[in-house]
Amino acid sequence: MNYLYFLYIEFLAKHNIPQIFGDITFYVIPITIIFIALLVVVLLLVLFERKLLGWFTQRKGPNRVGLWGLLQTVADAFKLLCKENITPHGVDKFLFNLAPLIMFTPALVVLSLIPYSSEFTFANFGTNALIYVIFAGFPILSILIGGWSSNNKYSLLGSMRNISQVLAYELPIAFSLLGVITLASSMNLKEITLMQTSSLGIFGCFWVPCFIGFLIMFISTLAELNRCPFDLPEAESELICGYNTEYSGIRFALFYFGEYTLLFANALFLSVLFLGGYLSPFGRYITPLLFQGEFGNILIYFEQAFWLILKSFFIIFIVIWIRAVFPRMAAFDLLKFSWSVLLPVSIFNLFLMVILKFLMGGAYV
Amino acid sequence: MNEASLLKLNLGPQHPSTHGVLRLILELDGEKILSCKPDVGYLHRGMEKMAEKLSYIQYLPLVDRIDYLAGFFYSELLCRTVENALEIELSERVKIIRTIMLELNRIASHLLWIGAFLMDLGAVSPFFYTFREREIILKYFEKITGQRMMNNYFVFGGVRRDLFDTKDIEEFLSILPSKIKDYEKIIDRNPIFIQRTKNKGILDPETAINGGITGVNLRASGINFDLRKTDYLYKDYDFTPIVLDGKDAYSRYRARVLELSESSKIIKQALEKLKQNTELRQAPVKPIGFKLPEGEYYSQIEAPRGLASCYIKSTREEKPYRLKWRTGSYYSVNLLRKILKGTYLNDAIAIAGSLDIILPEVDK
Amino acid sequence: MRIHEFANIFKDCEIVGEKIIIKSNLAKTINFIKNDYGFNMLKDITAVDNQENGIELIYRMYSTENEEEVVISITVNGETESISKIFDSAMADEKEIYDLFGINFIGNDELERLYMPESWEGNPLRKDYEEKDERLNWNE
Repeated sequence: MNYLYFLYIEFLAKHNIPQIFGDITFYVIPITIIFIALLVVVLLLVLFERKLLGWFTQRKGPNRVGLWGLLQTVADAFKLLCKENITPHGVDKFLFNLAPLIMFTPALVVLSLIPYSSEFTFANFGTNALIYVIFAGFPILSILIGGWSSNNKYSLLGSMRNISQVLAYELPIAFSLLGVITLASSMNLKEITLMQTSSLGIFGCFWVPCFIGFLIMFISTLAELNRCPFDLPEAESELICGYNTEYSGIRFALFYFGEYTLLFANALFLSVLFLGGYLSPFGRYITPLLFQGEFGNILIYFEQAFWLILKSFFIIFIVIWIRAVFPRMAAFDLLKFSWSVLLPVSIFNLFLMVILKFLMGGAYV
Repeated sequence: MNEASLLKLNLGPQHPSTHGVLRLILELDGEKILSCKPDVGYLHRGMEKMAEKLSYIQYLPLVDRIDYLAGFFYSELLCRTVENALEIELSERVKIIRTIMLELNRIASHLLWIGAFLMDLGAVSPFFYTFREREIILKYFEKITGQRMMNNYFVFGGVRRDLFDTKDIEEFLSILPSKIKDYEKIIDRNPIFIQRTKNKGILDPETAINGGITGVNLRASGINFDLRKTDYLYKDYDFTPIVLDGKDAYSRYRARVLELSESSKIIKQALEKLKQNTELRQAPVKPIGFKLPEGEYYSQIEAPRGLASCYIKSTREEKPYRLKWRTGSYYSVNLLRKILKGTYLNDAIAIAGSLDIILPEVDK
Repeated sequence: MRIHEFANIFKDCEIVGEKIIIKSNLAKTINFIKNDYGFNMLKDITAVDNQENGIELIYRMYSTENEEEVVISITVNGETESISKIFDSAMADEKEIYDLFGINFIGNDELERLYMPESWEGNPLRKDYEEKDERLNWNE
């Protein structure tokens, strides 16, 4: 980012604007813009899912609002914002209102930890990956609070299911993450990305040596996001809507939006860990070939972000595909599957990674 | 178990997977069901009381509503009982037309069930696939009878209109096998589907017979009880009743899928017969003001949801003195008390779904 | 059909058409037919209100092995024995008849209003039932 910063300060100095102004605006304006852009991507993601589900089931999907239904989710969000906020009798009002906020905030926090391009991460800590896992586990708290305070038995059952589910699936996630961390010798997401640089492109990324870990992480992420086939906490045919049965209006919108933001964030996280993040899948970037000079150097950041989002949408596509095909798992099989299959296998995977690392002599190429 | 630690859950009457207005009062320990009490009657329309107030021809359009997914079967049942009483001999053509319509209706009903059952289990796509095929049948019904669902097509001693065009149905029968293969691909070998249904909701033959379970559910428990074998409409057709001995939800699903092709086999034979048959349409009995001779009349039919029967007691009036319906689903609901005990909540939904309960049939 | 066989066993029974009309010992008779003759399915119980002649209950039993049917009929007045312990399906029918005809089945402890609301007065399928709401009599 130093390069961009330098250009910007130089530009301001030409017009006699003090540097302090540049220091503030350089970070605030792009971050705001990019955050809004990300939220728009999430809105598109909802549309993407509905369109895909439509195609999977031989329908057209939303196609009335805007071109190809592009504005459908915007209209839906607008509708939810205009709706009455119903607070049922007998709820704990403070907690009832708090739950959607807790759902939404961590979703935004985790988005800021992802390296979108080689020069752009909102919050670049040494232990990025660890912090990500901590914050991505946060929504369980919101679901617990929401389910408990709703004064509804279905909500309660939904949140009960969710807690046992998340507890069971957090451990495999942690262990397969450890596998990647071992390979990369770093807990920083950007360094993990850079460790995957190779001339092989996408085939040089961590999903090749750590394939078991990738699968486990993918499955556990599905469970943590309450996506099909692990959508028990909001199992529509059993618990009506699970923990958010009693929510309406903007509170429901926050839940809904938070869920999809987390889906997007988790897809980004997976692609950073295993699919090489912002690296080009072909081994080299395309923009420097097309545009020489400074313009190409700036454009490369956009290309990197493009690759990252493309990879994450590929993962989301698979998630939606699974939703279209699979029925829901039974509650007990789900827990058994995690404790007796995923956890041992992920520990085994970790050992495998340690051995691999040892054989490679500390460097993964 | 401490009373206070139990959760009393009201499943329904407004619930996405009770297929109407069934209410189950469950007592839960965690997710385990300790007791289940079905509460019915939210859709009670007094079908039997209405029969005593209306003449036969006035009552005929109502009986489709007993089971809106298999309305033909109940019209056929009423027509058959009245025809028995009046000793009307049906012409061959009418018999063929009725068989075609009944079997098409059975296919439509089973297709809907397959979709709805998978929906209960949480899979969304098969619902649309089966509805796509069901739509062809409903379009055909609309073409022939003027209605998609409450057809009111059979009348005493005949059918309302001749079956004039069978091209759509021949086309449908030719694509059905490939569609069934598609369902099998997406459902049958799906590991989660197998996990959810294999050995779940076991109905051993004794419990099933004792509980009055009939139809596909009983045949999936290994009892060969198919009224079509002795039915006068079906006596010239070559088919084998599907009998599976899995006793679980999976074999109930399999039995219904296999029955699709069995029914299409019957329709194919019936279409052949219809082509050779050159009779004119039989005129139905004079619709207004006939009286049944004094006595009791009983007839039964193999409906998609089990044995359905109609009992009429007549005292030589224009209206029946007493009319009683026996429907399959009512006994399935009654048996839920027994078979849901000790299961878990999400299995319970799968088990209740696998019995193919439809509420208007229960409430009458 | 074994109707006449049964007629020899049950002394005080009468055979009309295909129906065996018994006077008493309902549960015992049904149990006997079920266990000794293999009529293992109760298709349904039909109640008919014959006004001054009491309410007739028709039990239609079926044997899945021999594929034959036997029809038992009994006329009751207000109450009778329950066979819900013998046949699970009888529970369903008895509940329905209790609701619509007001017959008390002794030994069935799950009897309550089924279709009609708790507060409903009278039993709708009885011939002496009067509809209080005149809107319901639109047909007459």
